[in-house]
Amino acid sequence: MLTIDNLHAKVGDKEILKGLSLTVNPGEVHAIMGPNGAGKSTLGHILAGREGYECTEGSVTFDGQNLLELETEARAAAGVFLGFQYPVEIPGVSNMYFLKAALNAQRKRRGESEIEATDFLAFVRQQIKKVGIEPAMLQRGVNEGFSGGEKKRNEILQMLVLQPKLMVLDETDSGLDIDALKMVSDGINAMRSPERSVVLVTHYQRLLDYVKPDFVHVLARGRIVKSGGADFALELEERGYGWLDAA
Amino acid sequence: MSASLAYLQAWQQLPEALRARRDAVWRHFEQHGFPRVSEEDWRYTDLSALNDADYAADASVSITTPGALAGWQRLVFCNGERVEGEVQAPQAALADDGITALNAALCRDGLNLHVGRGQQSAPLHLLTLDSGRTMSHLRHRVVLEAGSEATLLIDTRGDDSATLTTSVLEVEIGANAHLRLLRIQDIGASATDLSRTQIRVARDARVEYVGLDLGGALVRHDLNVQLAEPGAQAQVHGVFAPSGRSHVDTHTRILHQAPHTTSREIYRGLVGGRAHAVFNGRIVVEKAAQKTDSEQNLASLLLSPGAEINAKPELEIYADDVKCAHGATCGQLDDMAIYYLRSRGLDADTARNLLLFAFAHDVLAHVTDDAARQEMERRLASRLPGSAAYEGLMEGLIA
Repeated sequence: MLTIDNLHAKVGDKEILKGLSLTVNPGEVHAIMGPNGAGKSTLGHILAGREGYECTEGSVTFDGQNLLELETEARAAAGVFLGFQYPVEIPGVSNMYFLKAALNAQRKRRGESEIEATDFLAFVRQQIKKVGIEPAMLQRGVNEGFSGGEKKRNEILQMLVLQPKLMVLDETDSGLDIDALKMVSDGINAMRSPERSVVLVTHYQRLLDYVKPDFVHVLARGRIVKSGGADFALELEERGYGWLDAA
Repeated sequence: MSASLAYLQAWQQLPEALRARRDAVWRHFEQHGFPRVSEEDWRYTDLSALNDADYAADASVSITTPGALAGWQRLVFCNGERVEGEVQAPQAALADDGITALNAALCRDGLNLHVGRGQQSAPLHLLTLDSGRTMSHLRHRVVLEAGSEATLLIDTRGDDSATLTTSVLEVEIGANAHLRLLRIQDIGASATDLSRTQIRVARDARVEYVGLDLGGALVRHDLNVQLAEPGAQAQVHGVFAPSGRSHVDTHTRILHQAPHTTSREIYRGLVGGRAHAVFNGRIVVEKAAQKTDSEQNLASLLLSPGAEINAKPELEIYADDVKCAHGATCGQLDDMAIYYLRSRGLDADTARNLLLFAFAHDVLAHVTDDAARQEMERRLASRLPGSAAYEGLMEGLIA
């Protein structure tokens, strides 16, 4: 599904990713851990297509196409979803309108028909229960005045509504209490299928108790320096990242 | 100060009896001419080019009139003369500067709306269309007697020609009466529009104004609201969205003269291209106006590197028991917000327009009449890039 080969990327003049390679097959869940400043968030923004984030070498192939050639919105329609570490507040644009506009824009780009308003409302009402969002929050501005936890749950709601193929979740678990973490995890698990893949960027092993990964990678100094199975996360929790530098 | 030939010719073409009656205002204009940039209220808006401007005394015009708004009566003026609707033109009264004096001297037509005690008048769409190298001067007067209600949309449009339009609207709102006043200024890129709106609000009466300024080479609107008696209320909201090389200057002045008067003012600016927007919002609380409750909020977005805004809130408070809040901000569209929207599938134009609409919606949401609000939204959208994406843009958008 996703093949990242020798990816070098810079933000402004600063090179952040320095030869990152990663292959994600359909149905797999990959966790990416690592120290602050290693380039984890940069990877997410490079995949989603943020302006100012430039690939200088290497390639990213998604479903057989060169992902980096696509516009940001075309990547979304192709099935790439980035759960933001810091979701953006959009005052004046209602959450409900935003969900509908986003889904229909993606469907239109894929040559599918727009979704019926009443069907959509019923569908969204089902999804909000899964992440513990009150119906009234659908009428509020996107993330406007939401708490940190509400913003993260709102990211998961968008993911449930947009049904992407590749979900890159950038520290979606940070700052959540246990109940919210369970809801977020349930949301991610509900999306798991043989056709969909997940990349979890996280600092904490705790999330991986609820969403069991197939692979755990350590990203440091702009590259994947070590990979392992689910148990590797436990080892990292215990030993930290320092020993990897020595290795 | 000698007026340019064009104004003198227009004056001389008036019937002698009319000239005799208007002699004082014409002399006022001859003496003072147009305001100059040396005057504080005009420092950013230079009218000197109007002194040498050349206008045809009259020109026949053929502009297609657009479709009417559902549920609204309509009155149409082309190049200063009525072509649709039945009304009696008012007598010009106000002439306190060069522009209003010129208007009083040369006006040929206008709306004279009188709503009787306790009456409710049908919503009225006053449409002004101008074309050709011409001048038009319209004088409107609206009187609402006690307890009456009216809704009026003043809609000024033009084509690509370098027209000069002046208009003066004088409004008297009687005790406990209620006026909804909407204004769309949508003239062409070469046109000049100088307008004055003068509103007096009596005891427990209220005015709800929402304005939308879109175009014009040189646009100046002075909006003066006098809260003259206890309990008078004013809502003065507006959007200005000049683009290209437009110059749009809005001066509002809200005068609290009596106790327990209330004003709310929200302005949103979207300034693009190499346009220049000027906003001056003055609130004066006179000594007698204890318990005044006033809020003013101004926010602007500069949409391109060549865009410019001069925004100045001014509070003058002479009473000691008042509640006045004001705030002014100026910024740019949030790149992170555009990226966020695009990452969910909206294209760049739609993302941008959505943010602009949400921003303007703080004001346009106050237009209670659906047909009028949709018209204002549509006209704003038509000036934004990628406006084809407008269809349904505002549907379900909640402020």
